[in-house]
Amino acid sequence: MEQILANGVYLGSQYAMIALGLTLIFALMNVLNFAHGQMYVIGGFVTYTFYGQLGVPFVLALIISCLTLAVLGALIEKFLFAPVIKGSAREESTMLLAAGIAFLLDALILLIFGEKQRGVPKIVNGVFNYDFRLIMPYDRIVICVLAILSIIAFICLMQYSKTGRALRALAQDRTAAQLMGVNVDRYSMIGFALGAMLAGLVGGLLVTITGVNLGMGGPTSIKAFMMVMIGGAGVISGAIWGGIILGFMEAIGLAVLSQYGDITYLLIFVSLMIFLAIRPQGLMGKPWG
Amino acid sequence: MTPLLQIRNVTKKYGGLTANNDISFDVSENEILSVIGPNGAGKSTLFKMISSFVPTTSGEVLFGGERISNLKPHVVARKGVVRTFQETTIFKSMTVRESVIVAQHLRAKASLGGYFWGSKAAKDDVVSFGKYADELLEFLGMSEISDELASNLPQGNLRALGVAIGLATGPKVLLLDEPFAGMNHDETMRMVELVRSVRDARGVTVLLVEHDMPAVMTISDRIVVLNFGEKIAEGTPSEIQNNEKVIEAYLGSADDEIGM
Amino acid sequence: MKNLTSKQLVGVGLFLFAVFVAVPVLIRITGRWDFYFTLTSVALLAIASAGVWLTFYIGRINIGQGAFALIGAYVSAILVVKGGVSFWISLPAAGLFAALVAILIGLPILRLRGVYFAMITLVLTQVVTLTALALPITNGAKGISSIPLPSGISIFGVPIIPDFAAMENTKLAFYYAACILMILTYAALYRLVNSRLGHLCRSMQQNEELASSIGVNISYIRIVIFAISSFFGGIGGAMFGSIAQSVYPSSFQVADSVNFMLNCFLGGLGYVFGPMLGTLVLYFGWDLLFELGKYQLLVYSLILIAVIRFLPNGLLSLRLGKGGPK
Repeated sequence: MEQILANGVYLGSQYAMIALGLTLIFALMNVLNFAHGQMYVIGGFVTYTFYGQLGVPFVLALIISCLTLAVLGALIEKFLFAPVIKGSAREESTMLLAAGIAFLLDALILLIFGEKQRGVPKIVNGVFNYDFRLIMPYDRIVICVLAILSIIAFICLMQYSKTGRALRALAQDRTAAQLMGVNVDRYSMIGFALGAMLAGLVGGLLVTITGVNLGMGGPTSIKAFMMVMIGGAGVISGAIWGGIILGFMEAIGLAVLSQYGDITYLLIFVSLMIFLAIRPQGLMGKPWG
Repeated sequence: MTPLLQIRNVTKKYGGLTANNDISFDVSENEILSVIGPNGAGKSTLFKMISSFVPTTSGEVLFGGERISNLKPHVVARKGVVRTFQETTIFKSMTVRESVIVAQHLRAKASLGGYFWGSKAAKDDVVSFGKYADELLEFLGMSEISDELASNLPQGNLRALGVAIGLATGPKVLLLDEPFAGMNHDETMRMVELVRSVRDARGVTVLLVEHDMPAVMTISDRIVVLNFGEKIAEGTPSEIQNNEKVIEAYLGSADDEIGM
Repeated sequence: MKNLTSKQLVGVGLFLFAVFVAVPVLIRITGRWDFYFTLTSVALLAIASAGVWLTFYIGRINIGQGAFALIGAYVSAILVVKGGVSFWISLPAAGLFAALVAILIGLPILRLRGVYFAMITLVLTQVVTLTALALPITNGAKGISSIPLPSGISIFGVPIIPDFAAMENTKLAFYYAACILMILTYAALYRLVNSRLGHLCRSMQQNEELASSIGVNISYIRIVIFAISSFFGGIGGAMFGSIAQSVYPSSFQVADSVNFMLNCFLGGLGYVFGPMLGTLVLYFGWDLLFELGKYQLLVYSLILIAVIRFLPNGLLSLRLGKGGPK
């Protein structure tokens, strides 16, 4: 039981960060970022390159991951999403663009980092063992704590900084934010960069435990979509709840259902569908976003 | 004779808020009845309950003695009670004529399959829909704009388009949602004439919800006044004009659309 | 096909000629027999894309067609391999089963709109893949392989469809079969869009509230359209399985669902024949870029992004297809 709880917290904190980035981008620009999983993978590969290959300290490698993704996100927003949003008759075009970008990032990952599974040396050795009831390697504990700290930092940023206030205003009502003097173009770019950065940060954190490979992008995006649907699209608290709930469901499922094979996710999907039938807007969402 | 439309003790609560409290009134056949009240009086909630766009908390709406509240909007429309919307709710990329044709689908004799395979009845329908659309647009004075895209129309015409779409379904009761909102005096008077002729020439009973007091006074046979979700008065325009409760409600509120 | 102008008739004639005469002749001359497989795939994917397009027509972004294609492929394979049913009977059965699943799933999820619907349909593809892995009847990750080729059909001794296994050139036979199916699909789609149901769909696409106020039973039409859409997906998937002679849980994945959506967007959502063109361009483009080796995906995605960036309303918005079978 303790083990399941600990695994749930561990998974949930990672997931919540992924969902936060996705929901931020959605709230700001009404864009469903299909490439979110690929951004996560790139974050993993950058940390792998700097920490695993070049021997740069882990924290520095993490920061490089964040910066890379932030720059990448800003460029994608400025040169692709912003013009397409302006020029297209239908809002669905952004979805197509996002899918195209997911393909592009996959191609870039393939060319730059190759298709092999990559791992890095452990950041901390040893295993925490409480009476064989709760076993958790120390590196997982460290990563989990870092993830929770990042989430807290992100919430503080959104709540108390000028940028955060501007982003929240933008998410609530674009036109009104513009009237209030928020530079909409600039903050859209910042928001997108921030969302991408979160994906890169999780990628960098998790590479120390699960490693990273090209094929992780798509499934990660799907998980992120599920969390956002559970919590309600475009709502920050919803993303965190979605992440925690999915993390716990997975932890419980893997513990209880492992002998039946791959049905944990099947059950999660089915319960998600039933849940959405009853509550289409998710836990925290407003009806129809 | 039972009234055509009966609103019976209708109440709507949203959480702890009461939007409408125990409202009752009748609408007789061939009547133009207006529901007025200051902002936040619960007019639009009542309107949505009559057209089954939102369910009632308690009470019911009867049409010809049959309950039409707490159903689906399309069921109510099929029974002959059709609402219009304010101007932004249109079929944007259809022309005026196409909108009016699509709105006639309830009158279709052929089945959906018949249309797919091109049956005789379907072809007859297509011809008669076109004819009726032209006739209706002529009647509403909209022939000239019949091939315009709805999204290109100016505001005043959009309101008329809303009425045309509603009328095309062949309703017995037409519910108009603030038909005069945002119109200048001339436009309002034209709309008043239009609504009158809909009643006089087509025998359609009209229930409308409106802010604009002068227009309501000219057009209505009877008026129901709401304030803070309660019915405070009911009567002919002259009775309403001299009703103290109504004057108080309008003077007491910070509403700037008094115009009495 | 009635009510067509002479110009449209010429377009349809040219199209049929190109598909049934010009392409086989060209392939014989050039000796590029591999194009048969490419074009057959295009035809079948275009059928599934037609379904996705139809859900767009009621204003829903459907990224779940891969799920229904996979369902169709499995139903047909199971019927043929385990039930010994003729492929030509399993084909409509696959479509109908996919439609039935669509009705059951559609009841809850069609209430969702916009990105919510898009996300849940995307998840759906994953669900079906996982179900195929978990169920005994689908044989898990091993899938169903060595599916026999379609057998012949004859009525009162008159052969209607020849036995594929007895044929020398099954590639050509599959090509013709796929093209006929595709043409039937698009003819049906064209009729549907231009009939009353199509007009009601358009009214829902533009404003569901207004549509219901004029008496359109929107929840009913949504279900009907989603079922038809999934029927197309099931048929396309079943035929695909028959050509590949095998079905695996990975036969149709999330990426395929995304591609079906891309086909529709790229072709243009305002045009019935848009998804057909989109499928052709995307699939053929992908195939032609094969020569580029490891740069294939890079170039492909760059072109895709460039098209969206500069033609956000689809290829047919260039009006290239005006003289074609519109």
